[in-house]
Amino acid sequence: MTCRPKCGSDMGLIVKTSARAIIPLIGIFGAYIVMHGHLTPGGGFQGGATIAGAGILFLVAFGLDEMERNYNKSLYSALEGIGGLAFLGVAMLGMGTAFFYNTLWHSGPFFNGKPGTLLSAGFLPIMNLAVGLKVFTGLVSALTAIAMYRRWKS
Amino acid sequence: MKRTLAYLSLLFILGVFLYIANPNYGLVFGPGGKEWLSLRYTDNYYITHGLKEVGGMNIVTDIVFDYRGYDTIGEATVLFTAIAGAVALLRPWRRDES
Repeated sequence: MTCRPKCGSDMGLIVKTSARAIIPLIGIFGAYIVMHGHLTPGGGFQGGATIAGAGILFLVAFGLDEMERNYNKSLYSALEGIGGLAFLGVAMLGMGTAFFYNTLWHSGPFFNGKPGTLLSAGFLPIMNLAVGLKVFTGLVSALTAIAMYRRWKS
Repeated sequence: MKRTLAYLSLLFILGVFLYIANPNYGLVFGPGGKEWLSLRYTDNYYITHGLKEVGGMNIVTDIVFDYRGYDTIGEATVLFTAIAGAVALLRPWRRDES
């Protein structure tokens, strides 16, 4: 059976229906972990990996054809770069004192609320969002590349 | 019989580990009590000053993104490089297309 690169590689009806119900929930949970990274256990890496799990579940359940239709390589590359650059840029904000100085928390115009609220902790929420975006797009890109450019015959 | 013996030996090993890990009469890894504070002052510094200096309730996030920010930058760079390398290696080669 040589139908490389595309076989009809999607799973059955039950798996697809369950995945359609579960993927949004996984995404919401991952977004919660990323957004509350400075308040609760977790953070950018963990939440990004959780959201990437939703993307990988989509790839596994719906197959490579559907993934290729919905996956935009240049968009994901750009988002990963933007995540890394936002991380560096926010770290640069405190250059007046030191690299990685949390100037938004000490004297910033925003993100300096009471500790424990969502809009507190200076650059930590922005950094969590940047790292989460980077990890999510990076892992989904890597898994899609592995699935798309495989060299073994099925 | 063999299976029962295997489970019993597993249980015995678990008991030995539990005995060793007990801080009261097992192995002691480093000093405890008041001496702990004089030797591991860095941990205590993060716990007492992290909320005031960085502002996050999650001390781990405070350490990872502020005190140890360079480490996180290196980690992000490693991730970026790994994915760029993986995609560059896995993409179809000119040899395969012909």
